[in-house]
Amino acid sequence: MIVLLRGAHMVKNWRWVINIIILTILLSCIGVIANLTASSSPSFMLSCSSELFNHHNDQQDSNHYLLVDLLSKDGQVQVHYRYFNIDGSSAGTVSMQGKVNSIDTENMIYDISVNTKQESPLAEHQQVPEHYRYLSYVSNLNLSRDGMHNLSLQIIEQDKAKDFAVVLFQPSNTVCGCRLVH
Amino acid sequence: MQLGHCKFDVNKGELVNNQSDEVWRLPRAELQVLTLLIDYQGKVVAKPLLKTGNGQEQPLSDASVTHAIFTLRAFLGPQYESLIETVKGQGYLLKHHRSRKQSVNFFSHPQRFAIIAIITLAVALLISGLMFIRFSPPKALPVLPNSTATVKLTSGQTVDVILYSSSKTNLALLKKQGMQLQQSLAQCNSTSWKRVFLSLSHDEQVLNITLRGEHYGQSVIRNLKISDLRQPKKFVSQAWLKGVEICD
Repeated sequence: MIVLLRGAHMVKNWRWVINIIILTILLSCIGVIANLTASSSPSFMLSCSSELFNHHNDQQDSNHYLLVDLLSKDGQVQVHYRYFNIDGSSAGTVSMQGKVNSIDTENMIYDISVNTKQESPLAEHQQVPEHYRYLSYVSNLNLSRDGMHNLSLQIIEQDKAKDFAVVLFQPSNTVCGCRLVH
Repeated sequence: MQLGHCKFDVNKGELVNNQSDEVWRLPRAELQVLTLLIDYQGKVVAKPLLKTGNGQEQPLSDASVTHAIFTLRAFLGPQYESLIETVKGQGYLLKHHRSRKQSVNFFSHPQRFAIIAIITLAVALLISGLMFIRFSPPKALPVLPNSTATVKLTSGQTVDVILYSSSKTNLALLKKQGMQLQQSLAQCNSTSWKRVFLSLSHDEQVLNITLRGEHYGQSVIRNLKISDLRQPKKFVSQAWLKGVEICD
């Protein structure tokens, strides 16, 4: 009888171990699913227009315009930089594609990784905006070194209607006022 | 001779349970059957041989052999009773059991069982923890304004000038640009702008100025991005700021 009880006890012990493993795996799965669900990115679009001023050493200052559109949908993100001359003609474009890594809704910080980039070829005689040159250099450096160009944007101020926001881009430490498109 | 967690002492004719220390002095039938099964371990022992034994004593009856097998199995316990196998129509067989004995004994100790359970749980928690880390990237800390200054215009209107910098490398140059802007704004009679944000890229290549105000209740925003290839870098001057019409 004692032997019988001992045998049954050991079988129960093994069941307990199996139960713990299954429970832990289940909890892990629930956690991962919850995390993935929570981090599903809401869609948003930012449109930012800027006036570019370039101070040169021995030349006259040159000015350009820059339109930046940042579109995020289903965790994917596209960033388009469009440069224009004062007369409205194109001075180059840079298009980037990537994904939204995380969204910190509490601090309104969006963490983005850009994986691919296309730059429009410019005519030889055309003066390249310094900002274009700078953006191209930094993103090339990151993409060739790390395979991705990481950036985060933090909304530091919004108007009451939430149509406009002041956004801080990192790591470039760029503050920019943008129109929010819902 | 080890049988499960029992030890068979041939000389004393005893089976000792190692776990409960229970000692069973085997009756004649059980002793005869077990001795023969051990002698021919791994082989089938015919029932007639089990009955006659070495022939020195009175043969056992069929019922005695069957009963001896039953009681031996009962003493070995449910885990090891199958060591004695019935081969239908032939007899009985005592199986080799070393590997089974070791594995079962290893896990049968409560302390070992607890260690195994704890290790299993720890590994499972570690795996789940790693999964959480993988799917929960660390949150970046929000960047706060480095400084905020309020400029009073000649009309009495006020404008906030806010500097943003997440490092100290470019702070001196940024503050210098902020001072230039404050001085220019102070000379304005009025302006549409209520708040001005300044930031300088870490490598001091681009100065960003964002002017924010309201016009008939609607938000208005203007972004100025200045690249300066001159050395030393000046970015903005009062004359330049006047040129870009920061005053109304």
